[in-house]
Order: sequence, then structure tokens, then C-alpha cells
Amino acid sequence: MALIETRGMTKVFRTPLKGPGLAGSVKHLFTRRFTDRVAVADVDLTIEAGEAVAYVGPNGAGKSTTIKMLTGILVPTSGEVHANGVVPHKQRIQNARNIGVVFGQRTQLWWDIPVRESLALLKEIHRIPQDRYEATLQSFNELLELEELLPVIGRRLSLGQRMRADLAAALLHDPKILYLDEPTIGLDISVKDRVRAFIKKLIAERGTTVMLTTHDLGDIEDICRRIVIIDEGRIIYDGDLQAVKDTFARERSMHFQLQHPPADPAAIAARVPGVKLVAGEKPVQLGVHFDRFEVSAADVVAAVMTEADVIDFHIDEPAIEDVIRKVYAGQLDLSAAEA
Amino acid sequence: MRRAYVMHAKLALQQMFAYRAGFFLGLLGNFFFLLSMFYLWHVLLKNPRFTHALGWDWSQMKAYLLIGFVTGALVSTFTDYTMANRIRTGDVALDLVRPVDYQKARFSEAIGIALFELCTAILVCAIVVAVFGGMQPPTLQAGLLFTVSLLLVVPLKFGIIYMSGLLCFWTTNYLGVSWSRQAIVNIMSGALVPIVLFPVWLQGLANVLPFQAVVWTPARIYLGTIHGTEAAMWLAIQAAWGAGLWILARLMWKVAVRKLVIQGG
Repeated sequence: MALIETRGMTKVFRTPLKGPGLAGSVKHLFTRRFTDRVAVADVDLTIEAGEAVAYVGPNGAGKSTTIKMLTGILVPTSGEVHANGVVPHKQRIQNARNIGVVFGQRTQLWWDIPVRESLALLKEIHRIPQDRYEATLQSFNELLELEELLPVIGRRLSLGQRMRADLAAALLHDPKILYLDEPTIGLDISVKDRVRAFIKKLIAERGTTVMLTTHDLGDIEDICRRIVIIDEGRIIYDGDLQAVKDTFARERSMHFQLQHPPADPAAIAARVPGVKLVAGEKPVQLGVHFDRFEVSAADVVAAVMTEADVIDFHIDEPAIEDVIRKVYAGQLDLSAAEA
Repeated sequence: MRRAYVMHAKLALQQMFAYRAGFFLGLLGNFFFLLSMFYLWHVLLKNPRFTHALGWDWSQMKAYLLIGFVTGALVSTFTDYTMANRIRTGDVALDLVRPVDYQKARFSEAIGIALFELCTAILVCAIVVAVFGGMQPPTLQAGLLFTVSLLLVVPLKFGIIYMSGLLCFWTTNYLGVSWSRQAIVNIMSGALVPIVLFPVWLQGLANVLPFQAVVWTPARIYLGTIHGTEAAMWLAIQAAWGAGLWILARLMWKVAVRKLVIQGG
């Protein structure tokens, strides 16, 4: 059996139906009406040990609800969930020993006491022996720079510091599975990089299975090889990240900085058929868009260099961002990528 | 595992020192309430009808009010407010992904806080005794039984505040619940008016509810109005309520968790 397996996992929330304004609220006190909202519908998910899976979708798609069912916080309305041989919501405590959880918008640190004490509590909760505890802190220190955070009181941490401490807190007991629910939300670039590097190191060195929800597509490309896209509670794509990019993100673009404006742009296009030329902001700038499977970057460079004096150029690789944006906008049918 | 719960208690106690300004303000409020109770009952006891019905005098009434103050301060409102707040904001999700028993963890925290509450309450009592003059000390036997009874107040009050905190799974707003609870406990425990002065039907009701064991039982033991087997019986009832509420709270938790909706995604 896979490490994480769900079959037909469904969560329906019952929300009160209130009329507008105070009158509606008062009326609701006496005649309660509810509406059922399906947050997660019939999700089948299989994750093997050691995988790093990105779980993406627009706001309200059911990402967090899925994570909360896998972690045993929420009870599914129907369907089956197994994680590491236990049913999370039934064996909550046993499940909690195997997992680490980071919610980007919440903290598991105590608010009014130093970080060191919060970690010490987790040490006792997870029964981590002293020597292993110290070794783990030591190994986290390199990328998270924990040392400087240990004496700081929870509420005095900046967002970036808090996330570093929260990551350490979630991983002290070396869990088999790490659930990250928007771990980089609101972080600046340098902290983001550090968080990603830390997670990558964890996957490489400890073989931790990671499930990551995020809106930051940089996180996905950096950490995950597999992507699951969910929309309106349903999985609309589950597969290789590279395959999605190969199918839907074929367009590569090169940007040239030239000595002089090109005398005859059409001549460049004629040398490499299939490319599209785009004028830059200045006459000495030139953009070339092409299908990276049809045309090689070397051919494009050669063509431009024959027709103009090139000072500098760079390549923009296709980003998963564009693909997902198209999926959200309903422009793409992802089933094509699975074929 | 036991060490994890000890650690919960320790951190909760440590947190009280961070909250000390707020705590002492609350204590000051309770202190003024105690003072007004003192003056009120000082006047009331000039009427022989009350002294007769109560069967005790001003010196014993002072002891009664102080016991009400101490048991009122013990396991008061920190654990439940923290719980309610975490349930309301959805932070309770993080409590659920830890391999600890939720109820035991909250109980451990309540004990840590209770140590702080007990020390400060005793300090206030000492000041009041210094100002208002001495009270009769209990007999050795009454003193010992009273200590047991005071300790039994901890699980009992925990059961009450824990369950009222859990109500947040249904109400999502705690203020109303907390106020109602405090009013009910204040009246039915005998903290405002000794139960013996209640109308007969209300006395009957008070005696079958758990709240009387918060003030009425320890106070009567201290004052010696119940002793021997009668005192032992009321201690047993007090202990049984503590255990009963613990089990009831477990059942309530099971239902609550199924009903859980994490607020704020």
C-alpha cells in the first residue's frame, strides 16, 4: 500500500443560510436553514513514500480541506483515507506521530514564551532523546539559523523568523510525512529561498514525503516533481510536472540586446522558420518567441548574430505559472497531458 | 509521555508570568468584589435572622467568603478563553496534529495556572486577614479534609470551564457562554449567598448539581458544619462530580471534533 491513499474522499460543509442584514440573522435564530457546500469531492490520491507532491488550485478549491483530512483534523463526510497505515481522523494521535504540519498562516509556537521552550515542549511530546534533539537542532541551524531565534519570545518574531522556527518545530521529530499548507505566504524572496532550500535538503537527506499546497509557483518548480491540480473540490490533473510543462508550456523566449537596431528583422525570421519576433521597449532590444521542441535556442542565437551585432541575451524558460493560469481560466484541457 | 504533560503545566505557568499585569488587574477586580461582599455580609449579619439561619457568626462568615474567593480564583478563566479563542480562529487545528490527548493537555495547563492562582489567592487572603482581623482556624481534621476538598475543586472546575470552552465548536462566540457560566457557578456554588439561605426548592436543585462542590462543600468542611462520615460523603460526591464531568467532557469532545469546521481556511 502507498504511504498516503484516499478513495472517494469527500467533505461536505453545512453552512447556515442567512438572509441579509440584522433581520436575516434574527430570522435565522428561529428558522434555521442550511446549505451544503461540497469542499472536496470524491478525491482519489495515491502518494508513495519519498514523493514531493504539489497540490495546487485557486482559493477555495479544497486544498486546505484535503490537507486537514489527511492530517486527521477534519473527519471526511465519506470515502476512505489511509496514511502510513492508519486512518488519520480515527487514530489522530498515532497519525500525529508520523507527520509534521506547517500552516503558513498559523503558528504552533507559544505566543508569550521563548521559542526554545516551545521546541522543548515538542521534544517531550514526541519523546525525542536529548542527544538526537540536539543533533537535529544543530542540523537545522545551518539553513534556518535557529540559534538566534531560540531566546526570542514567540510574538516578537518577524514573519520570516516565525516561519523558520515553525519549520523546525514541525520537523523536530523527523516525521515521515510533511504537510506544508502555503508555507511561503507573505515571505520575502530571501526567506522563501531559504525555506525551499531547507525542504529540498530534507527530501534529499531524509527521504521525507512532502505534500505542499501553495500559490507560489516557484515553490512547486523548486521542490516538486509531481503536481496535482484541484478545482472546485475535484482533481483535474494529477501527473508529472515536467509533462505538464512539455505539453502546455512549450513557448520559450529569448531577449537580445543589440548594438544597433536590426536592419531587416524579417531576415532573422526567415533564417529560423516558426519563430515570432517581438520588438523590445527600445529599438536595440529584440524578443524572439519559439516552440522549444521545434526550434533550438542555438539556431535562434546563430540567426540573430548573423543579422545583427549582439551585446547580450537571456532566455526565459516556460513557467508552470502560465499553465496553471490557463487552467484556472478554463482555457486548457489538461487531460491531454496525461495521454 | 507524562513528561509532556508536566511540560504543558510548566509552560502554562511560565506564560502566567507574561500575563501577570492582566492577571493582577483581574485579581484586583476580584479583591474589590470580595471587599464589597465583606461589607455586605457584615451588615446583614447584624440581623439575627441571618446568623440564626446560617448557624455561624461574623468570624466564620469571613472564612466562608475567603474560601469562596480562593475557590473562585482557582482554575478561573484562562484555559477556557485560550481554548475558545483557538477554536474560534481555527488554531485548534495545530492542537490536533500533536500526538497528545487534547483534554489531558488542557488539564495539565490548567494545573500549571492553578499553582499561580493559588499562590496569589493565598497572598490576598493573608492581606485581608491582616486588615479584617483573625478568623477561627479549623480543627486539624477539618483542615486536612478541607485541603483534600480544595484540591478536588481543581478537576471539578476544570470540567466546568473545559466544557464551556468546548461550546465554542457550536457557538463560535465565547463571551455569552462565559458570562452565563460565571453567573450560574457564582449562584449555584453558594459563592454569593450560602446555599442554606436559598429557598428549599433551590437548595434541592443546588445539591444535585456539581456547582455546590466548588464552594459549599469545602467551606462547610472548613467551618466544621459537616464532619466525620458526612464530610467524607460530600468529599466523595465532590470527587465523583470531578470524574463524571471528565467523562462527560470526553463524550462532548468526540461530538465536537466531528462538528469541527476550521475557520479561516
